Amino acid sequence: MKINNLISQFKSGLDKSRKELLGKLELLFNKSHNKADFIEKLEELLILSDVGVSATQEILNEFKQMDFSEYKEKDFIYFKEKLAEILINILKDNPTGINIDREKLNIIMLVGVNGSGKTSVAGKIAYLLKKENHRILMVPADTFRAAAIQQLKILSDQAGVEMINTQEGADPAAVVYDGINAAYARKKEVVIIDTAGRLHTKTNLMKELEKIIRVIKKEAKEYSLEILQVIDATMGQNVISQVSLFHKTLGVTGLVLTKMDGTAKGGIVIALKKELNIPVKFVSWGEKLSNLYYFEAPTFVQALLD
Amino acid sequence: MFDNLTSKFQIIFNKIRNRGKLSEEDIKSCLREIQIALLEADVNYRVVKEFVDDLSQQMQEEKVSESLTPSQQIIKIVNEEIVKILGSKQKDIVISPTPPTLILLVGLQGTGKTTTAVKLAYYLREKGHKLLLVATDIQRPAAIEQLKILSEKSNFPVFSLGKTEKAVNIIQGAIKYASKKDIDVLIIDTAGRLHIDDYLMNELKEIEKDISPHEKLLVVDAMAGQDALNSAKVFGDKIDLSGVILTKLDGDSRGGVALSLKKVLGVPIKFIGVGEKIDNFQVFHPERMASRILGMGDLLTLIEKAESAYNSEELKEIDKKIRAHDFDLNDFYFQLKNMKNMGSIDQIMEMVPGFGRIKNKIPLNNIVNGEKELKKFEAIISSMTVEERENPYLINGSRRKRIARGSGTQISEVNRLLKQFFKLKEILKKRPALKDISFN
Repeated sequence: MKINNLISQFKSGLDKSRKELLGKLELLFNKSHNKADFIEKLEELLILSDVGVSATQEILNEFKQMDFSEYKEKDFIYFKEKLAEILINILKDNPTGINIDREKLNIIMLVGVNGSGKTSVAGKIAYLLKKENHRILMVPADTFRAAAIQQLKILSDQAGVEMINTQEGADPAAVVYDGINAAYARKKEVVIIDTAGRLHTKTNLMKELEKIIRVIKKEAKEYSLEILQVIDATMGQNVISQVSLFHKTLGVTGLVLTKMDGTAKGGIVIALKKELNIPVKFVSWGEKLSNLYYFEAPTFVQALLD
Repeated sequence: MFDNLTSKFQIIFNKIRNRGKLSEEDIKSCLREIQIALLEADVNYRVVKEFVDDLSQQMQEEKVSESLTPSQQIIKIVNEEIVKILGSKQKDIVISPTPPTLILLVGLQGTGKTTTAVKLAYYLREKGHKLLLVATDIQRPAAIEQLKILSEKSNFPVFSLGKTEKAVNIIQGAIKYASKKDIDVLIIDTAGRLHIDDYLMNELKEIEKDISPHEKLLVVDAMAGQDALNSAKVFGDKIDLSGVILTKLDGDSRGGVALSLKKVLGVPIKFIGVGEKIDNFQVFHPERMASRILGMGDLLTLIEKAESAYNSEELKEIDKKIRAHDFDLNDFYFQLKNMKNMGSIDQIMEMVPGFGRIKNKIPLNNIVNGEKELKKFEAIISSMTVEERENPYLINGSRRKRIARGSGTQISEVNRLLKQFFKLKEILKKRPALKDISFN
């Protein structure tokens, strides 16, 4: 995909937040009478975007060191660029997307708290990889939530990929066992595993995920494992705790940021990057299967501020 | 629940606890830390500003700096302020004098509307109502099936008209159906929607106009961030909300959104969702939540739970037995069962005052192991004869071997249980009579 294309898609998806931020930035610079006033307004803007207190303080420190004496002559684009530069700096070194190795079994496992959008993302990743001509098998390991299997089945059909069947209440690790063996039998390249939503504080449920990973390691030969944690852009600072605990238990390899089509700013990405340094691999919004994109830090920030 | 906020406040107060008077500077830094704690708890920025301003004024008026016990005074003021925001009294579901009562659940995607619908139905059935769940989410794949499966498990009827009918038509159909079946409460599950989705937001407006639900409840995820205030405001502008249900409070989210919502919507938070089970659903108590925020634990909930798990006759019976020194393994077994009825150990611990302070120091494994231990104890006692339970002194080596085999445990585990039982018996002998026990 061409980068310009991507930018415009990002922009349309982030349109709401972009407009809001732009409007606010202009307001910020026009109405700020002095440095302290400006810093306070910038603090408000960043906190309200869920960037979090400590990341906000660090960004503010950079502005505090700047000379404001001539700022009236410089137009607000200067400050905007400065802000973009700081944000991009935080988000750099972010390997995005996923590499599919046709020689191996590529296992993608989706994890996260309840309601973050795992099943939808499973469908969207399947759709994306299907377009890249990969042979995909879907594995419904969310056997807990009522009708989660049916939901994944509908999405798999829409994406035109196969799903192994199972029943509500089945042992998720057993479903994954079947899935991996079916993937070899059907000569698939990619296995996408949808798991049940669980709060990161529930030790027993986290152990269940560890068990699934043990099964993968035992059953799969010549494989690569991508553990993607799905996070909801409308969530606040608790996401830090969510990702830390999932990461500690499973070794999360990447993040998928969902629900970016509302007015939420997804500023948590910046806090996450600063605190945990786990790459954001995809951004998702909307209900269409095609609404999933590789996360690009410069594009993300540029689309937000441009 | 609110753990991090709680520990933040505790850190602040510990800092000033051992000092006599506070300087202006102390108060300022105290306020600053309260502000950061609240922001980190995802309380909305503007709400925090207002809160801290009010607080600062109160502190000046009440002359905190001249007080001899400033930390107590600050706790009192902060507590009062939080209670004030959260709402001073709890409000239950309004049941219409002319049935059926219509309850509409709305909210963003993934907040837990469908799960909440069934939990609320269960709560109302316990109060003697006859319920019907109405499936109007024709957007998300398999959403109707989800509601059907959940409802079937708990024997609730579900009304749906497939995936093409308009929400208003489905609800009207449901009302007709309900009148024939003597159903007095309808819970309407709606599709999750973004507040900027005009089409779906207008659908809500239409439902409000044509159906006039008695309760219009916004379901909000306790982990929500700063934007929750914006989205809630749009829902509140579109329809005349009557309350809020806060979900997923069983995690470690600080739940600051509760403060923001109450402030911006001005409607009561009615219930909270605290787990995956159908009865993990509680009436919201502002005072309890506030004291929880301040690390005073949630004693009221704990006492209430203990009361419902033990009926008082049984309790007196045990007390009598203890007095007469014939507390046996049957009673011990009964106690274990009751403890399980009160909830999981970590749920109970959450409510114990001061636990928030030490929680991070206890590895979660200990809690889980504690629960496993309880299950094992239950199995061991189940494998004993009636005679053995009444007179544990009978249990010799060969009996221990048999019990271990019968319960699938080790002899050492049977030994441990008996040792703990005898120890407990010793302690109980020395304990005061029931009426002397207080929770202070």
